[in-house]
Amino acid sequence: MRIKKETLWGWILVSPLALGLTLWVAFPLGVAVSMSLFKWNMISEPTFIGLQNYWFMIAGDHLFWQSLKVTLIFTLTSVPLQMLLAFVAALLLNAKVRCMGVFRTIYYLPALIPAMVSTALWMFLYNPQYGLLNLLLDKLGLPTQQWLIDSDMVIPSLVLMSLWSMGNVVVIFLAGLQGIPKELEEACLIDGGNYWHRMRAVILPQMSPVIFYNLVIGVIGGLQTFTQPYVMTKGGPSNASLTLMLHLYRQAFTFNKMGYANALALVLLVMTIAVSLLVFRSSKSWVYYEGGRK
Amino acid sequence: MTASAGIRSRRALSRLSLYLALCLGAVFCLLPFAWQLRSSIMTMSEIFSYPPKLLPSDPQWKNYPEVFQIIPFGRYYLNTAILVAWNAAGVLLSNISIAFALTRVRFRGRNLLFALSVGTLMIPSTVTMIPTFIEWSWIGGLNSFLPLIVPSFFGNAFFIFMLVQFFRTIPFDYDEAALIDGASYPRIMIRVIVPMARPIIAVMVIFTFLNTWNDFMGPLLYLNDSKLFTLALGLKSLLSSYNSYWHILMAAATLVILPLVIVFFIGQKSFIAGLAMGGIKG
Amino acid sequence: MIRAKLALVAALLATGLSMGLSAENVKLTFMFWGSPAEDQAIRKALKDFETANPGITVEPLYAVYSGTEYDAKMKAMSESDTLPDAGYFGGRFYEYASNDFFMDLTPYVRRDGMEKDYLPQTWIKYKGKIMGAYTAAEAEVMYYNKDTLAKAGVPLPPTDYKKAWSWSDAVKYWTKLTVDTKGKHPGEAGFDPKHIACFGIFHETWTGMLWPRLWGNGGDVFSADGKDVLIDKPETYQAIQQLADLRNKYMVMSSPGLTEYNSTGKTDPKVLLQNGQIAFYVSGAWELLDFAKMDFPLGVGALPIAKKPAQLYISGVNVVFKKTKHPDEAWKLQKWMMMPEKCQELYSGGLWMPTKKSWYENKADLSKWLDNPAHPKGFKEAVVDSMLISRNEPLNIRNSDQIWLEYINPELDKVWQGKDTAENAMKRAAAAIRKSGLLEGLWE
Repeated sequence: MRIKKETLWGWILVSPLALGLTLWVAFPLGVAVSMSLFKWNMISEPTFIGLQNYWFMIAGDHLFWQSLKVTLIFTLTSVPLQMLLAFVAALLLNAKVRCMGVFRTIYYLPALIPAMVSTALWMFLYNPQYGLLNLLLDKLGLPTQQWLIDSDMVIPSLVLMSLWSMGNVVVIFLAGLQGIPKELEEACLIDGGNYWHRMRAVILPQMSPVIFYNLVIGVIGGLQTFTQPYVMTKGGPSNASLTLMLHLYRQAFTFNKMGYANALALVLLVMTIAVSLLVFRSSKSWVYYEGGRK
Repeated sequence: MTASAGIRSRRALSRLSLYLALCLGAVFCLLPFAWQLRSSIMTMSEIFSYPPKLLPSDPQWKNYPEVFQIIPFGRYYLNTAILVAWNAAGVLLSNISIAFALTRVRFRGRNLLFALSVGTLMIPSTVTMIPTFIEWSWIGGLNSFLPLIVPSFFGNAFFIFMLVQFFRTIPFDYDEAALIDGASYPRIMIRVIVPMARPIIAVMVIFTFLNTWNDFMGPLLYLNDSKLFTLALGLKSLLSSYNSYWHILMAAATLVILPLVIVFFIGQKSFIAGLAMGGIKG
Repeated sequence: MIRAKLALVAALLATGLSMGLSAENVKLTFMFWGSPAEDQAIRKALKDFETANPGITVEPLYAVYSGTEYDAKMKAMSESDTLPDAGYFGGRFYEYASNDFFMDLTPYVRRDGMEKDYLPQTWIKYKGKIMGAYTAAEAEVMYYNKDTLAKAGVPLPPTDYKKAWSWSDAVKYWTKLTVDTKGKHPGEAGFDPKHIACFGIFHETWTGMLWPRLWGNGGDVFSADGKDVLIDKPETYQAIQQLADLRNKYMVMSSPGLTEYNSTGKTDPKVLLQNGQIAFYVSGAWELLDFAKMDFPLGVGALPIAKKPAQLYISGVNVVFKKTKHPDEAWKLQKWMMMPEKCQELYSGGLWMPTKKSWYENKADLSKWLDNPAHPKGFKEAVVDSMLISRNEPLNIRNSDQIWLEYINPELDKVWQGKDTAENAMKRAAAAIRKSGLLEGLWE
């Protein structure tokens, strides 16, 4: 069978990916799937228990459902807000204004700060007694909040912090905006269109692949939120910020229940795939690729 | 009022509101950072004084050199820089050709590979952490930089996804023209596509720099010898569970962020530079 | 001739080499965590060990993390057979012990006649065998700022742990010390709880720091056989309510934060103590290390008594791992690190309290670690002497960490926030725990 030159080149160029998938994905995933059917504390022999882990998850683990709720609420609030604000910020930062480089750097600054430091800084801001935020609220005559210590305020507090560090999303939107062919925008202006017309006819369609990317990445990241609740609230108060990843991590590394943790991880994986597939499917109707699909 | 004056004043108004909005957001972004900076030159007791002071009464600039005395910060800087250099190389070498193949070369299994690649983004890191660790222990890669460098040469799903989305916005006329001229696929990739994708490639390199610089879990798992530690681990050591050196930590954090700020500030300009040379954008 | 000379040289070389090889050159690894100051002190102790034991080198593995991350690292190392020879251990000790993770130290301890030289609580026994030793003997301490008390006209607390303030007296004093920005105290008309300039007390509320409050009131968390919880007994939940009342009823304490120990980003209470923003601070003895660097009149008082005096014995654990290839040398290292004279700065600096008996009874040894500015006067009577009645944090109860983290802490959070009474919360938690099947008894 003669192999087309195109096919050959395709496989050569893509080979690192294929290898990487085998080494870093297929093997660990295989281990995870099989491990989820065992009871294993990592220091003695694993015991096969079949689907018991999954049964316990649904029927016996009250924190599973709690963590599911927390994760979904957090993702469904933070991702849309982030996308909206980041898009607006990118539009602002795309303008022809002096010192734009400085502004862009400032907006990206939060994303540059290592997680350990930013969590420490925000914990200070959120301190009910001595923190900056309550000081500001007090000066403005507004009621002070308990922030991370109040089970009703803890998710909004974490969402606010995630909005602050959305520099990554902004930068990608910005790169996308700058990739819009100027002729299209000019054509729209010549036709007498105002800003909203430009937005609907040119900017949004041209940006749709980028919006799609940020949406998928945002949802995946949101469902896997771990660092902030882990460092700042340890899942509290009263499990109000216990995300699924945090619950999983604790099962694996604090309680030595590696098998159960793997089962939780697989459930999270399936959930993420399901949501992403939804977004992918919908993308056919609203994402526009200039280059077309070869 | 004449029509043009009306337009001019409207433009001035929109310009002003633009500045205002930008500044508002900038203040929000800068607030925690400002607290970090002012804390980095204070004493411990001043940091927590209430109401919070904006400026130190007696700037403790010595906090900065003290960072290097308490932990081997210089070495951590070097180690982290080495990791960044290698990862940048790996990222550039692998992801561009992979994304190119996935979008502009037709071969069977292409869509499946892409779907699998994106799928890997959804795998929680805890799942792959321990098995990957075991793999590395089999080939003696523990306590070295290898586990932190080698994976970047095999493609990164984030970047592949990102590049694929951007490559798809480039019309195929360019590829076809080059193919007619007899160019091979690698040549098309390097001569035609890469120059157009400069902004997004710059973003990719900046992200790699940032991720490597601040990566904590990787060095935590794979580095035992403190001679190999990175800046992220160095920062953590200042935040131990019962004795935190706040003033030193803030100074150290500033030292850690500084290169990132500089790199980003320079890098974002190359978006514009890349555009000017880009060609298709007018 | 030349060949003979060469042969001679070769023979000499070979003999020399084999002599070098047969001389023990053992390489050990010792893993530990801590602040940079601890790092330096431990490294020095390890270097001194090398000097005293030629032929043994020790590679220090300094972990910048502790707790769960340290445990994760241990597990990963265990999976890949790269465990250190000896070091700190922070996870579920008894679960690991029952899985043959640690080396049995009993024969060595017996051989060297060490057992009676140390506080009995130091040795951790599993099935009668000594599996590990506590690194130090840490306790709960009540610190205060002498100036703040003087300004408020409050007498200094007694230092004899048997004659401490009663809890109700202590609350009265804390109320007198709590003052808002206009100078009013809680209970007075016009007191503004939203603008408090000085709080009477800050009491750490993570698990370890709760034990003396519970024991001092006659309460406890687990039954002796580990098969039941005692949190719904009045003695236990009343003690918890006492603590919660400090914040919600008497308003002498600021937000206690979350129940799990988390110092990241927390406003450092030690600095607040120095600044006069809090008057009293209840935490562990290890805080002395940092206090020593701060310049203010620090005082130590005996812990207030609810029904009877109580003290905690808490610490990390030093172990030798079973998989070590050099058991004798690893034991030597373990023994060395248990000797207070070998890491003296850690003891005189205030971070650790010794586990060796003579350092509590022998006047000369006592002064080695107590007679210095880091240890305020009164520390001996209030804390050191109270070690006589100290109890260990229970380690051998199955699933205790899961019970705490998943059932008790979430309910405690509600109590600290003032959203429910301790009685209701603990009764709910106890019911849930009994239903959960986690009460499996002891590790045996």
